[in-house]
Amino acid sequence: MSQDRVFSFDEALARVDDDRETFQMMIELFMEHGPKDLMEAQSALDAGNAPGVARSSHKLKGAILQFCAPAALHACKELEESAKAGNLANGAQLYATLEQEVQRLLVALRQVYDKGIAA
Amino acid sequence: MIRQDARGPIESLTVPLIESPTMLTSAAATTSGNAAEGDVSTVLVVDDEPTARLALAARLKRLGYRVIQAGDGKAGLEALRREQPSLTILDWMMPEMDGPSFCEYVRQDPELQTSQILMMTSHDQPEQIAEGLARGADDFLSKAASKHEITARVQAGIRAATLVRRLRDATEEIRQKQEALEKELQSAARYVESLLPPPGAILPGVQMVHVYRPSLALGGDLFNIVPWSDDFLGLYLLDASGHGVSPALRSSSFATFLRRDSLLRHVGSNDPGAILTEANKQFPLTESGHYFTIVFASLDLRCHSLSYATAGHGGVLLHRRSGEVCWMAQPNLPLGFDSSTTYVTVTLPIGPGDRLYLLSDGLYEFPAASGELWGKSRLEKTIQALGQQPLETVITETIAEAVRWQGHEQFPDDVALMGVEVAI
Repeated sequence: MSQDRVFSFDEALARVDDDRETFQMMIELFMEHGPKDLMEAQSALDAGNAPGVARSSHKLKGAILQFCAPAALHACKELEESAKAGNLANGAQLYATLEQEVQRLLVALRQVYDKGIAA
Repeated sequence: MIRQDARGPIESLTVPLIESPTMLTSAAATTSGNAAEGDVSTVLVVDDEPTARLALAARLKRLGYRVIQAGDGKAGLEALRREQPSLTILDWMMPEMDGPSFCEYVRQDPELQTSQILMMTSHDQPEQIAEGLARGADDFLSKAASKHEITARVQAGIRAATLVRRLRDATEEIRQKQEALEKELQSAARYVESLLPPPGAILPGVQMVHVYRPSLALGGDLFNIVPWSDDFLGLYLLDASGHGVSPALRSSSFATFLRRDSLLRHVGSNDPGAILTEANKQFPLTESGHYFTIVFASLDLRCHSLSYATAGHGGVLLHRRSGEVCWMAQPNLPLGFDSSTTYVTVTLPIGPGDRLYLLSDGLYEFPAASGELWGKSRLEKTIQALGQQPLETVITETIAEAVRWQGHEQFPDDVALMGVEVAI
């Protein structure tokens, strides 16, 4: 899957008024915190802690929104809404999808980051 | 991983703070924008998700705002108390303290109430919006909002904060002016009190007791005695219309006219009617239509007679030792309305144990909580019921009964009551 299908670089950059330096820092932050949030969601899921899953996925969603990544966002919303409803029956499956999408987003962002964003 | 160089507009925003929420409370480390400019509005961003917080903070900075950030509700409250930002943009779901709880804390603190709160949320259900508003948020912003919407809502929040703070400042200015005015009125009231006669024996065989309760707004009530001789005494109670320092000063000026030497010079007589007739010429209506009402009485102990004249003043009551009570007001104009008015003296016999009360309308024209006035009838019955108890008791208990009627201590107008008892 190409980078543009994972997230919209142009759209995400426009959200920060084409401020490339800020965007680069946002990628740095997400590369650091995104995996932590995923791990927290998984730990909560393993513990059967639906509110914890909802909190972690909600936080992750806030970051994913910034990158205009529709598949990751959708997967995150699915897990959050399910957890908020107290339903973790499909939690493992939803989490797996989310993890996959977040990993793809991280790879795509890494590619952009390595190429260099700041003007 | 994270750059911490000093270049560019956002180095000081959030990056060093992500690892430790407590560090977010450090203003030096969390603020950005041109804080030195006095008219730059400050915006506090409270969000536990650092990427979204950074994006929003950077946008706000580009819009020209000074930005402070906090990574959770508790740190946000500390920053809010310290920095007093115009606008707080707040995430709904956060650890430790969520957005609605943050709002409730803020709204319970009078020091923080002027800060506008814009709640960021993906909760767009009407019942959730209602909950946020009920718990203290001023507006909502979807996390998926366009940059134009974010800008517009932030600007609206800043405008609202500016208006609320102007209102607060104006209210404070009014309060300070009111405080200064009340001090002036209290000072004027103390001056009026300094003009009042000392209670006690004003002539051999004549006792006088009085009470003076100036209202918060201060009226123009004033009373005094004019000692003509060892067996002849003048008494008066006057009321200048209006409230404030001006009527108090006008009353003071009138009191100067009513001094013994002045009356001898201007009137040449101790006759109450003659005195009021001359006063009517000396004190015409003011340009703003203010005037005096007055009762002037003379006690002639040698002849056992009471002479009096009134000008638009209803507060004069004679309580005979026999128990008979009569109001002595005459139906005529206050002073100053018509310079050709002649005020007539009425003379009555007076005997041992008879009591004369001069009083202001503030002692009967005041309402109970229901709105019903106390009125002359209740006042008369109160004095009558107290009978021949010591004069001081009658004065004190009459005021106490009036206070009970209205339900509180502070009368809406000046209250003056002077009682004189002839013992011989």
